Amino acid sequence: MTTLDVVRGTAARVADAVKIYGVGGTEVRALDHVTVEFPAGRFTAIMGPSGSGKSTLMHCAAGLDTLTAGTAWIGDTELGSLSDRRLTLLRRERIGFVFQAFNLVPTLTVRENITLPLDLAGAAPDQAWLAALIDVVGLGDRLHHRPSELSGGQQQRVAVARALAGRPQVVFADEPTGNLDSRSGGEVLGLLRRAVDEMGQAVVMVTHDPNAAGYADEALFLADGRLVDRMERPTAGLVLDRMKAFERGRS
Amino acid sequence: MSASAITVRLSLRSLRAHKRRLAGTFLSILLGVSFLTGTMVLGDTLRANFDTLFADANAGTDVVVRSADVLDSPGTAGGVRAPVDSALAERLRAAPGVAAAEPSVQGAGQLVGADGKPIGGQGPPTLAGNWLTDGRLNPYRLAEGRAPAAPGEVVVNRGAAKTGGLHLGSTTVLRTPDPVPVTVVGIATFGASADGMGPSTFTAMTFADAEHYLTPKGAGQASSIQVRAAGGVSQQELVARIVPQLPAGVQAITGTAATRESTQLLSGRFLSMFTTLLLVFAGIALLVATFTIHNTFAIVVAQRSRENALLRALGAVRGQVLGATLAEALTVGALASLGGLLGGIGVAAGLKALFSALGFALPTGGMVISAAAVVLPLLVGTLVAVGSALLPAVRAGRTAPLAALRDTGVDRAAEGRSGTVRVLLGGLLVAAGVPVAVLGATDGPSVLLTAGGALAVLAGVVVLGPVAAAFAVRTLGAPLPRLRGVSGTLARRNAARNPRCTAATASALMIGVAVVTLFTVFGASIKATLDDTVRKSFAGDLAVTTSSFGAGGSGISPKVADALAQLPDVRQTVGLGRGVARIDGHGRVLDVTDPARLAGIVDLGRVDGSLDALGTDGLAVSRSEAEQHGWRLGQSVTVGFADGASGPFTVRALYEGGGLAGDYLITRQAWAPHRGQDADTMVAVGLRSGVSLTAGKAAVQKALAPFGNPQVQDRDEYAASAASGVDMMLSVVYALLALAVLIALLGIANTLTLAVYERTRELGLLRAVGQTRAQLRGIVRWESVLVAAFGTVGGLGLGAFLGWALVKASDSAGTGSFAIPPEQLAVVLAAGLLAGAVAGLRPAGRAARLDVLRAIATE
Ligand SMILES: Nc1ncnc2c1ncn2[C@@H]1O[C@H](COP(=O)(O)OP(=O)(O)OP(=O)(O)O)[C@@H](O)[C@H]1O
Ligand SMILES: [Mg+2]
Repeated sequence: MTTLDVVRGTAARVADAVKIYGVGGTEVRALDHVTVEFPAGRFTAIMGPSGSGKSTLMHCAAGLDTLTAGTAWIGDTELGSLSDRRLTLLRRERIGFVFQAFNLVPTLTVRENITLPLDLAGAAPDQAWLAALIDVVGLGDRLHHRPSELSGGQQQRVAVARALAGRPQVVFADEPTGNLDSRSGGEVLGLLRRAVDEMGQAVVMVTHDPNAAGYADEALFLADGRLVDRMERPTAGLVLDRMKAFERGRS
Repeated sequence: MSASAITVRLSLRSLRAHKRRLAGTFLSILLGVSFLTGTMVLGDTLRANFDTLFADANAGTDVVVRSADVLDSPGTAGGVRAPVDSALAERLRAAPGVAAAEPSVQGAGQLVGADGKPIGGQGPPTLAGNWLTDGRLNPYRLAEGRAPAAPGEVVVNRGAAKTGGLHLGSTTVLRTPDPVPVTVVGIATFGASADGMGPSTFTAMTFADAEHYLTPKGAGQASSIQVRAAGGVSQQELVARIVPQLPAGVQAITGTAATRESTQLLSGRFLSMFTTLLLVFAGIALLVATFTIHNTFAIVVAQRSRENALLRALGAVRGQVLGATLAEALTVGALASLGGLLGGIGVAAGLKALFSALGFALPTGGMVISAAAVVLPLLVGTLVAVGSALLPAVRAGRTAPLAALRDTGVDRAAEGRSGTVRVLLGGLLVAAGVPVAVLGATDGPSVLLTAGGALAVLAGVVVLGPVAAAFAVRTLGAPLPRLRGVSGTLARRNAARNPRCTAATASALMIGVAVVTLFTVFGASIKATLDDTVRKSFAGDLAVTTSSFGAGGSGISPKVADALAQLPDVRQTVGLGRGVARIDGHGRVLDVTDPARLAGIVDLGRVDGSLDALGTDGLAVSRSEAEQHGWRLGQSVTVGFADGASGPFTVRALYEGGGLAGDYLITRQAWAPHRGQDADTMVAVGLRSGVSLTAGKAAVQKALAPFGNPQVQDRDEYAASAASGVDMMLSVVYALLALAVLIALLGIANTLTLAVYERTRELGLLRAVGQTRAQLRGIVRWESVLVAAFGTVGGLGLGAFLGWALVKASDSAGTGSFAIPPEQLAVVLAAGLLAGAVAGLRPAGRAARLDVLRAIATE
């Protein structure tokens, strides 16, 4: 951990997190005593095989779902004690989201989608910041289009812009490139990277893709609901090797 | 931008994007509100038009002098007053401040038209009186000709002249009810321009003629004295001056008060009944619309759950998501209500024109649109929309944010829980409602209790709907797979797929059909009761009657019974007249007859005591009425007559009620000293044995010619004509219910269209694997028929039960019959199924037109 991280603190963290779905015979332990921190100003990738609990971890850390045991924090706010309403307000003020699909409200224009969390809060957007963002995502000429008139990659870029618009404490992205080809995916990941580098944004991204993990500062590896490994400055090649090693270990 | 602005923007956007999905909602509110507005505007307009008409016509009358005592009884509008001394007019004329005073005689008189048929008499009154010579006291104005001057000369109102084809110089007969030969010398309008006072007819004679034919004593009596004030004397002042000169029991009221009385009589009874009836049906239509709207929003919210979940994930609080849905309902509701308001004003204008065209002489005058007629429908329409969308909106607000990320599908657990609550609540309502309704129907009987129970049952059935829907649709659709193969199977499964939605759709139709069934059963039962009454108590061969409904006809001359008895073909006749009297203080209807002549033609069932011994101080009373008052044979009761006389009468006979005769019988001799115009309402005729019905009827008809041709019917015709009024009422009710049923069908079409949107992917898949367009169309159409079948069958059952309960509850004497008309109900069933097929046409077409590729690509 660098000194910078200590100064900036932690954007989000979970401690001793347990998530159990179902009861009795159908019980599934999606998270099994996971403790992890997402430092501010860093790009963290969460990796692992399908069903390992990546999405669950993200949902619980972001206050979309509740933990069975353990605690989840955004900055220094503990989520478990919050009412549905406080959680909702916290989400729109301090968290940005990019999902794999169905990110945009189809009836709103590109611009309205970007400012949606701000509008929901009744907050005035910072016009200069918004202009800069729109410039970065490169959709200046499509602002008044509907999502259905954009390509998948363009839609994801709008989603990234929306996630960044309110300058949240942390952006959570669940397989943001899962539906995109490598070029469009590269553009979206490049955007997230720039947000970390140029704006000091904290980003947490769930992904299957070693290439995507290559954009991150650190990769965490989950298996069967447990944190099994972590890698500083991952590259596509190193991540691929590590994953192959897991596969071998399991079989 | 404020936080609520985004809520409004979201709702308006989705409204624009999904306007076709909300078309059904829009239309059902529009129709319901149109009906409501139309009713209110028509009521206001007619009321105002009548008010001006009366005020105009009576403007010249400042004081009305009349008997103070009024005898009210059920069924006589305005009550009956004793006559006043006509010589009073002479004395009043001499009083200071009086410019004119004239006795006015009012009675019943039915004109016979040029074609020999009586004019009017189907409800609205047929009036006769004297022509008031003071032009300003007379509410009628001569339009043609002159006032009557000689015996036999009459002025008739323009409406009656038109209908009867009468002109100046026409000679005809006025039935008072003794036929009076008259010559038309003048034609009059009511007020300045109306054809008549509403749809009533009026024949005016000279005062001497009026006294002679319309008052029992033939001279010296008048219904009232109309007084006009001299210049500068106010109505109140004149009343104050006149009162000291009046004998005991006579009162003076201002002309304004008298006008108010007559308008209130009209608006209070006829118009209120008319508008209340229409309002009830507007209410039913809106209730049915509630289901359609609720359903639409429930589906739209379900379809939009991912979008709502995304909003929740991005930080929209529950209130914002709920608000967006409600704002959408509010907008649709307000816009549709506005459209309905405009439509309703058009409907009112159209209806008024229609009634006028049909010959109801409605007063002219502009449309009157009160503030209430604007505000109330707008409010009701909007509230119905918002209220119906409330539950779906709350559900939208509760969307879990995670639903955006996972295809969580339906939350089965929650449904299971609410399912139990549903069964408990619905079961409770039905379990409580049925016994209450049955109790109200059989023990009591009490209409209120039954209605309460019926409402509980209705609510219970609606609540239970979703639980019953899956089962019902599967049962009703059992033959489909065999009939229609895979399409049938799919249709049946689709209909059972979303029971809540199917139930809500079917509930709308169920309510409509239940009300239709209720009225059908009720009408059939009334007919059966009438039929039974005639069969049970009419032992004669022929009945001479005036119009069957209302007090419109003038009755039959009391001489008819005797005249017919002289015919060689006739064995026996008896006349039944009708009067009102106060019996132990309560206004009651009496039947006036010759009890000795009843035997063999009018069957009174088992008689205790003797009918022959009634005399001039005896009564015969129906057993149920006697029981109610605790009277026995020999009981003495006080009978007060309209002429003010009053005295003790003895109950000398008890008979079976519920037949041709009402609850009280009195002899002609006892009635004669107190009566007004003498008339029979029916003459029963028994033919000599061996005389054929046709020959007898012809002979009777011939003998009746001098009496203005009253109707002659054999027993079957008599029973049928009694029932024909019921049929007319039923067809009016059906026409009014058509709107509710139309809205229910719109609901089915709407739900199916939405379901087609929802299943776009699935339908695309079916098409991709080789299903033909025709097969796809079949699936949707059969689903529609199934839903309609559920609603129709449920409505038939419910309506039949409620009909039975209401028939029994409203039959306090216990003599009525209950009938279920199988043919009519079969028609309702067939119509329901057919309508279901028609409602499925558009959605089926839409499904069949789906573009396979686009359907599969749909997210
Ligand atoms: N709502 C739920 N009910 C029951 N089990 C669930 C639910 N959601 C997730 N699970 C289970 O929890 C485990 C972790 O799921 P999760 O979605 O977190 O996996 P993941 O790592 O995101 O997988 P993938 O890479 O396929 O998206 C899986 O075994 C999954 O089946
Ligand atoms: Mg996942």
